Amino acid sequence: MSVDSTVGTVPRQAASTDGAGWLARHRKDVEAWGFLAPFMIVYAIFLIYPVIQALLMSVFNWDLLDPGQRTFVGLDNYARMFGAQGLTWDATHLLGWRIAGGVVLVGVAVAAARDLVARRTATILAAATVVVFGVLLGLHPGPDGAWSDAGFWGAFGNTIVFVLMSTPVIVGVSLLLALVLSGAGRVAAILRAVFFAPYVLSVAVLTLIWGFLLNPDLGLIGRALAAVGLEPISWLTDPSLAMPAIVLTTLWWTMGFNLVLFIAGLQDVDPTLYEAAALDGANAVQTFFHVTVPGIRRTIVLVTVLQVIASFQIFGQVFIMTRGGPGGATRVLIQHIYESGFREFRLGYAAALSVFLFVVMLGASAAQFRLLNEDDS
Amino acid sequence: MTTATAPAYDGMSRQRIRQLLIAGLIGVVAVLWITPMVWMVSLSLSDNEALQTNTTSLVPINPTLSNFGDVFSLGLTPRWLINSVIVTLVTTIATLVLSAMAGYAIARLDFRGKRFVIPFVLAGLMVPKEAMFIPQFLMFAEVGAHNTYSALALPRIAAPLGVFIMMQFFQAIPREVEEAASIDGASRWQTFTRVLLPMSVPALTALGIFTFVLTWNDYLWPLVSATQPEMFTITTGLASLQGNFAQATALGSLMARGVVAAIPLLVLFVIFQKRLIRGIALGSGGK
Repeated sequence: MSVDSTVGTVPRQAASTDGAGWLARHRKDVEAWGFLAPFMIVYAIFLIYPVIQALLMSVFNWDLLDPGQRTFVGLDNYARMFGAQGLTWDATHLLGWRIAGGVVLVGVAVAAARDLVARRTATILAAATVVVFGVLLGLHPGPDGAWSDAGFWGAFGNTIVFVLMSTPVIVGVSLLLALVLSGAGRVAAILRAVFFAPYVLSVAVLTLIWGFLLNPDLGLIGRALAAVGLEPISWLTDPSLAMPAIVLTTLWWTMGFNLVLFIAGLQDVDPTLYEAAALDGANAVQTFFHVTVPGIRRTIVLVTVLQVIASFQIFGQVFIMTRGGPGGATRVLIQHIYESGFREFRLGYAAALSVFLFVVMLGASAAQFRLLNEDDS
Repeated sequence: MTTATAPAYDGMSRQRIRQLLIAGLIGVVAVLWITPMVWMVSLSLSDNEALQTNTTSLVPINPTLSNFGDVFSLGLTPRWLINSVIVTLVTTIATLVLSAMAGYAIARLDFRGKRFVIPFVLAGLMVPKEAMFIPQFLMFAEVGAHNTYSALALPRIAAPLGVFIMMQFFQAIPREVEEAASIDGASRWQTFTRVLLPMSVPALTALGIFTFVLTWNDYLWPLVSATQPEMFTITTGLASLQGNFAQATALGSLMARGVVAAIPLLVLFVIFQKRLIRGIALGSGGK
């Protein structure tokens, strides 16, 4: 693109003389806002205003079908979301999850002791672990009680399960593949394209392929299992297998996105560090933990946080493939928002749920910011 | 992939064996990775009758193109494709124009209120795109604008990410380039359109392809906004067929629709692979 040839000959247009004084003084502002205005108007109306509108709607009882039925209800929608009748606390409720929380706590302590995370971050993470796993997970309705909206807790729980299952799997697989495929060769380039290709498919094409792929009678997976003498598995109709199947589907779909980010990150690692490690006689595992991981720390944090944020917004795969079933085993938060709004017509409550999702994701973004800026400060 | 079990012979170092093992493993995984897509294409080229008895062939059974004929003669699929093309092109072009203009102003111009504009735009990056569909739905419902192309495109255009990407790009261009143009007497707008825009073609291409892919594949907003089948996009339309086709009597036709929905993006991907990947790296803050 040649830069110099296109200009030069165009004469400056004579400035209009009306209100010349004001215009001359504010010329820069007028010009700049002329450039900004189209975006700012669309942005303010269609992105910023809806956020404010969501906050407003969330304190109203707002019926979709009957605009006359809009009454201010204060925080009732939030009370309905989180509330329960006859709430009790006991130490053994959700024991497996709470033990897992304890393991996380130990992990944070070890990471802090080995200087992998800053002390303040470690303290915050540890405190959050204690509060969530020690206290909050012990809360549940007693024998005579019930959650005000059990559907919310089911959907939130499923979303958390999906985030916890999908994030390590997708980040781990993409990192492993990136290590092997970051080379310069032609074969590596073709393989990168193969692994990336599913990312460009839409969710409807994804579910079309995987819905049938996972089908025990029609799909390839069932056929492969039969070939080695195993019973075909009804992935999507088995409550304990449906979510893992969704994770597998999502891995195939989005892994390429993370792969690309990891490969970009790996290319920024100083090659002389690898040479030094080789001279010191480090093996592959040592090199990975002492050169690669510190070198792509920012990328690991970035990919993990992006994955968490994306996983919290999971919707299409489950909505098309299972409709949240079997028995609500894959019903997720966005489906709950969608159905609260458009099946039950409670727009105010759906808005409150949206605000909740927004806040959870702001938390994830804040964690990203904190972890990424830790080593700069 | 055939080297996975290469026997160790004298003189072959352990490292070499390990490399071959890894290469073999990757090869196997890559073949598995591509298989689902090959399978979809194979089914789409198979005769619907033959698929009643065998759906697991990776080569077409009784190969036929009639399923693709069905796509364009039966049902609403052509209409959905047109809807998707219109919405995606409008969204992509509008995003590029608005992002480039706003990004330029923020990166290069001094003006009143700039201090507030930057955090205002950055704040939008924190808004998750899937979380605000309830108030957005209400907004369009109140003016009766659902089931229109405007409703499908406008919320997507309001994306601060494009502004952020273009701002970063313009900040990296040396100021001398612009100064030379203004000495030659070009107005701001001329400098922008004739000097800076041509220089930003690579960034615009990356942003454009990224926006194109995301818009084409958007599911939740079109599902909420376009409720009349005539206004479905190919993504929501194809999703709507999947429940009805559960009987799998016309599996080949269904898969052909999937192939047709995927082809525009696969072609784009093959042509612009580098640009798309660059767009992803830019769009996710990964440099």
